[in-house]
Amino acid sequence: MAQSGLTVQFVTSIRDFLKNLDGDKLRSWLVVEPPVPDQYQNLAQELKQKHCHSASLDKLLEHYLPEEYDLPEDQGTAWPGFVTFMKDFLEYWRDVDFDDLLGAHQRLTALTNSCTTALNHPTHGTIMLQTSISLCASLSKLSMTLNKRPDLTKKLRALDAGEEDQKSVVENTAEVIQKIFTTCLTDRSSQRFAKPEGKKVGVYIFANVTLKLLFACRRTHLAKQLFTNITAKSPPLSLYPAAQRVTYLYYLGRFHFINNHFTRAAQCLQEAYIQTPPSFQKHRKQILTYLIPCNLLLGRLPSQALLQRPEAQPMAEIFTPFAQAIRTGNYLIFQHALESHEIWLFRKGLLLTLTFRLRPLLWRAFSRRTFLLTYVAPSDADSRKAATLELSHLVKTAQYIQKRLEGYVPAQPALKIRQPHINSMFLKAVSNSVGSGTGTDDSTLAPPPGGPKLLRPNEGLVWGNMPVTTEHVESVVASLIAQGLLHGFLAHSQGRFAIMGAKQKGSAVAAGWPSVVEVMERGEDKVPGWVKG
Amino acid sequence: MASASTPKPADKSTNEPKHDQQAAQKSAAALEEDDEFEDFPVEDWPAEETEAAKGDGTTGHLWEESWDDADTTDDFSTQLRDELKKVDASKKR
Repeated sequence: MAQSGLTVQFVTSIRDFLKNLDGDKLRSWLVVEPPVPDQYQNLAQELKQKHCHSASLDKLLEHYLPEEYDLPEDQGTAWPGFVTFMKDFLEYWRDVDFDDLLGAHQRLTALTNSCTTALNHPTHGTIMLQTSISLCASLSKLSMTLNKRPDLTKKLRALDAGEEDQKSVVENTAEVIQKIFTTCLTDRSSQRFAKPEGKKVGVYIFANVTLKLLFACRRTHLAKQLFTNITAKSPPLSLYPAAQRVTYLYYLGRFHFINNHFTRAAQCLQEAYIQTPPSFQKHRKQILTYLIPCNLLLGRLPSQALLQRPEAQPMAEIFTPFAQAIRTGNYLIFQHALESHEIWLFRKGLLLTLTFRLRPLLWRAFSRRTFLLTYVAPSDADSRKAATLELSHLVKTAQYIQKRLEGYVPAQPALKIRQPHINSMFLKAVSNSVGSGTGTDDSTLAPPPGGPKLLRPNEGLVWGNMPVTTEHVESVVASLIAQGLLHGFLAHSQGRFAIMGAKQKGSAVAAGWPSVVEVMERGEDKVPGWVKG
Repeated sequence: MASASTPKPADKSTNEPKHDQQAAQKSAAALEEDDEFEDFPVEDWPAEETEAAKGDGTTGHLWEESWDDADTTDDFSTQLRDELKKVDASKKR
């Protein structure tokens, strides 16, 4: 049954590549996306004309792509999984219409699944590795394009309407590619901690494509299985090329960040950052977008040297006030920073984390500041009395901040000096009517002209406009002690926080408020998902 | 500032439906480009080209770990001190 034509030539060449075990050539011929040489269009034409039925393709492949036996060691052959893939490949080119992105995506997904089956073959499969990589790259690219085209995917949703728990195009693609990842991970070509060979070479390539897709469709929790599998079976990350290492550590860092494991996240992101040469500005910028806030949460503040780097622009401006708030405990700067950059922080997935997770550090610095302002050391140097922070003082300063957050206006000392003879009643009336002035009898603050600002729950010190009470402050201090951010104990009956170990540390403030970094990094060393070997 | 260089989500109330759709697509595309961790143009590079190879000498100064100070002369501290004084004074009256 001798035939001629492009299809036969094509399949014959593929057979040669298999025979020569030439995976690169195979990849360069088994392309699936434009631009392609004219021959692929001609091939498609011929397939439409001569092989519109699957039976005719079956026959052709049976004849020109047979499974061969008793070959020398350095020669390869087709196998059933590959023949099926080839049939799907030819049908793909026969039927695909690149103007119909959804249709093309469905066909490419089917072809990739077929490729996975071929790759799975324990002895011959490895030759499909390069082709799998290029197919996945095409499929992922097409999926990401569709992800930005809700006008198209909407149709898909309409078709599937009624199904619960519906998956997006990107999520489906991630699932398809994760299967290839698993195939590579479980390959037995090389020992676990040896230089990766065979399909093991592809572990982090497919992990990274899967992660990219899971992050794009915001289904990051699905990455857990992938990281668990890597921890259990993968060769060390250090044995893979730099681009794969950095990309993987970026996603692993972000995953830990999303799960509030900031110490782990910081290790991954820091390593990704310093392993990326300065010439890759965009990548370094993307890493810093998460590394800086992550380190802020651990009490490690970006230095001027870092903030002046080109890749730290323009985020330096956004993060600087957060760092200042952590240093000083100034909630006003903190809330203002959150408010001013809300959209950007939300889009980057940082808003909620920074809103709630920085609060302990703010309270720490704020209580420390109040201590510095109120504590009077005993005149007797040998006094055995522990240094204490009076909680009533902290209540007062906290109430002051809460009022400021509600829009109360601080006193203008200048006014006081210029008009010393005006009685206080008059001043009070003025301050109430114009919203600025010398405050009230028991506060330096004057109520805002239009009444206190209505705060959202997260904008208040405790909960919106809820007034700060002694009980609130005591519970905050107790919680800071439990977290190790304050060192000492609550003397409840005396309404004080008593500091322990002042003598050893040399000062009460150093003993009571240990370094944040030291507290945060206690006891964490291993990072799940990062195989160091 | 970041918000200046990145487009804001289209305001649906003011645009025509068609424009709205185009704008939404455009902004979604722009956001995606900005937010995505792009593939590296090369697969590998020598460690010497990175800061990782140079050790703490080049990266140690990027972060500050001890930044607590005892300075209470800044505006914020002054405001808190004034408030504490005034509250105290009002109680003594």
